[in-house]
Amino acid sequence: MGRKWLYWFEELKTTDNDLVGKKCANLGEMTRIGMRIPPGFAISIEGYERFMAETGAGEEIRRFVEEHKDHLKEVKAQIQASQKIRTIIESKEMPADMREELFQFYDQLKEKAGGKELSVAVRSSGAVSMPGQMESYLNVRRRESVLQKVIQVWGSAFTTRAIAFRLEKGMAMDKAPIGIAVLKMVEAKSAGVVLTVLPTIGDTSKVVVEGNWGLGESVVSGEINPDQFIMDKETGEVESTISRKTKMVIYHDKGTIMVDVPREMQEKSCVDPEELKEIVRIAKKVEDHFECPQDMEWVLDQSQTSPDNLYWVQARPAKFSKVKEKEAEYLAELMTRMFKF
Amino acid sequence: MKVYDVVPGLEFEPERDFAQSPAWFLDGTHSVPPWTPMFGWFWINFCRHGMQYGAEKLSLPTVHGWDWRFHKGGGYLTLLLVKSEEEKQRREVEFRKAILPFIENYDGLWGGYVQEILGRYENLKALDLDKATNIELLDNFEETINTCRRMWEIHMYMMYGTYTAYILFENMCRELAGIDDTSPLFHNLVSGFDNKVFQVDRLLWEFSKKAQEDGLANIFLEAKPTEIQARLEETAKGKEFMKAFMAFMNEDGWRMQRMSEMNLPTWVEDPTPALVNVKQFLQKGGGFNLDEERGKITQKRKEAEKEVLAKVPQEQRGWFERLMVLAQKSGIFSEEHDHYLDLYTHAMMRRSALGLGRRFAQKGALDDSEDIFFIIPDEVRRAGLNPDQFDLRYIVDRRKAEWQEWQKTPNPPAFLKEGFDLDMAMGVLVQSMDPIALKVVVGSMPQVRPELKADLYGTCGSPGVAEGPARVILNEDELHLVEEGDILVAASTSPSWTPVFSMIKGVVVDRGASLSHAAIVGREYGIPVVMNVFEGTAKIKTGQKLKVDANMGVVFILDK
Repeated sequence: MGRKWLYWFEELKTTDNDLVGKKCANLGEMTRIGMRIPPGFAISIEGYERFMAETGAGEEIRRFVEEHKDHLKEVKAQIQASQKIRTIIESKEMPADMREELFQFYDQLKEKAGGKELSVAVRSSGAVSMPGQMESYLNVRRRESVLQKVIQVWGSAFTTRAIAFRLEKGMAMDKAPIGIAVLKMVEAKSAGVVLTVLPTIGDTSKVVVEGNWGLGESVVSGEINPDQFIMDKETGEVESTISRKTKMVIYHDKGTIMVDVPREMQEKSCVDPEELKEIVRIAKKVEDHFECPQDMEWVLDQSQTSPDNLYWVQARPAKFSKVKEKEAEYLAELMTRMFKF
Repeated sequence: MKVYDVVPGLEFEPERDFAQSPAWFLDGTHSVPPWTPMFGWFWINFCRHGMQYGAEKLSLPTVHGWDWRFHKGGGYLTLLLVKSEEEKQRREVEFRKAILPFIENYDGLWGGYVQEILGRYENLKALDLDKATNIELLDNFEETINTCRRMWEIHMYMMYGTYTAYILFENMCRELAGIDDTSPLFHNLVSGFDNKVFQVDRLLWEFSKKAQEDGLANIFLEAKPTEIQARLEETAKGKEFMKAFMAFMNEDGWRMQRMSEMNLPTWVEDPTPALVNVKQFLQKGGGFNLDEERGKITQKRKEAEKEVLAKVPQEQRGWFERLMVLAQKSGIFSEEHDHYLDLYTHAMMRRSALGLGRRFAQKGALDDSEDIFFIIPDEVRRAGLNPDQFDLRYIVDRRKAEWQEWQKTPNPPAFLKEGFDLDMAMGVLVQSMDPIALKVVVGSMPQVRPELKADLYGTCGSPGVAEGPARVILNEDELHLVEEGDILVAASTSPSWTPVFSMIKGVVVDRGASLSHAAIVGREYGIPVVMNVFEGTAKIKTGQKLKVDANMGVVFILDK
């Protein structure tokens, strides 16, 4: 057996960025500060490197790049190379011992989650994430599919940009700082985001919670009009806007699907006052911990009751929004990431 | 034996400097041929200060700016890397905030600095140097030193921020639109913009029209360059013309003939280079190319913008478009900063130093006013208030002899510690992620395609194909030799070269990246530019017939 390459989130913290990538390190940190996150584990960057070495994919990519390096200055060739490299990676079988270890973790996760049918999200956890990179696969069932998605996420590290960058810098083609998070998908009653700042005017005395029935994707993507609750951090006073929610996202087969919300639920608030209070309480706590406004994603499990039904899947400094001001911050963020690659 | 330093504290010293960094690169663009001691002192001290100031003010995550050393008139530089991961993370947090002004209010930021620095120049120029007291003269010189220092702060802060945005745009174009900075579509995206340097060219063209109307064209066409001014002064009309021309020079002629040196006259002192530009416009005849080209190029840009935006996913378009606008400003900044910052400040340095030089010569501290360029500010201060009490000529004698020696043997392109080679050194440079190193020092490497059977392989700086006779120009003094229809071949170009772009059909430069002068100006004039051919000035001879195909990035010598 090789070195450790799988970690439970509870074993990780912020400074493990280089070990498991940013998302996993962040999830680990979230457990440390008392946020309930869906049970799951991280695949380290070393796991990726071991796969590349043991399957020969790394060598094959090196050879491919060596042979084509005279042409790889052109973007078109880089786009093709990106596809070719993904194909090389996806054509490889997971080495037997790695497969065995991954299954052990998966089975333990299943136990942790109650032993029943388990559905997971497989998300990339790069040290840096840039537009154009595959982020995640949702609602993955069965261990074989998990295996396959893990390999696909590894392949997705080879974006056109990544290839051009490595060529320019003379960096090894088969190295990529990519980790993976495998986490249980919560049976969502409702889900959404919370911002500990009013993004339109930057008012940090307020917390904004937005949510919809079903999975959080419909809120994050901005496709529907969600319920909105603006709470004053000091007084706890709430301003609620209950929207007519006609669509929601639910699990379907191997992925997710958008469906109609049953008529009787359309104009009902998707969180009750107790749940709202708990969401805001944790959000404020996280903001205090990181000392900056947070943009967090929450899910309420339909099989549990408040406050045990609240799960967190993301916490990051607040910056993603469609308003102009936020666009500037997003650009600043992209510029920052550029130095990291 | 050397008994004193030109740049105290920053002379290259292998033993100590290799302990700090294994590789020091010669700044070949600015310090070949070797600098005079005074200019070297200014550059090494303040370019160095400016780069570190810019990197620190922005809190660049990977680099603290550059360190510089002086060696025999050459500037040698190395990167100051951020060493620990913790420090990088701390700097990222600060950088994210520090870069925002560039995104939110670029024009306000740059415009504000232009006003600030122009205000400083006006203050410096307000003193009549020949009537001033010794105290005022020295004071003016000290203020010039401060202005130079401030100029480099603005210069490098703006350059780091601007290039960071530009590099992100290149990256995102590659990722989201599938084009890179050598593709004609990319070039169309960043052309069709006016800037101060073009505005000055336009005024020069207007003077050529005026010369025509005033019946002065023949003087321009017949007289030798150095005699144009004197011949004009012989006639009443010509006198009027020169009066207007000198007023224009006083406004916009504060630039050096050689961009990074102070021992040649400014246009204000000697308008010959500017008058030669007027002559070239007269020889060429017709309208101002830029006006003719601008409309077409602007139209092309708008089409290119639409085409590229259509390739970007809907939800990413907001920030992408904003980034595009920012990248488009990079070209404007790249050109304008030379005019407002480097060239103007160096002209101010020359003005102030010569004022002191004249006083020192009158009082016997120096033999000749221009000998001032062979002493450094500390030595100027020694004699500053009482120049009749000090004799600085022995310093000048020794320095001048040294300086003449420097001219004889070129400085090596790099100093490398034993066991460290140039490839390793370049590796460190690119991995630093330093935006200026990436855009100015490294550039895209040419792709050699033997099947094209070209004589030189480079990258596309501005698209197009052209044929014509080669004109190899090694320095600014030879620019008057350029003729209509030539293909200009040079090591690189700078703003003082801009006017000849209206006459030529194409450009080949040894080094350059998409934000180099030749590329930006070539795009605005709609002529092909092939860059980074490395050996253009070595392989091509004036008069040889060339075909340049910038779309393919190649040059053919048709009559070898």
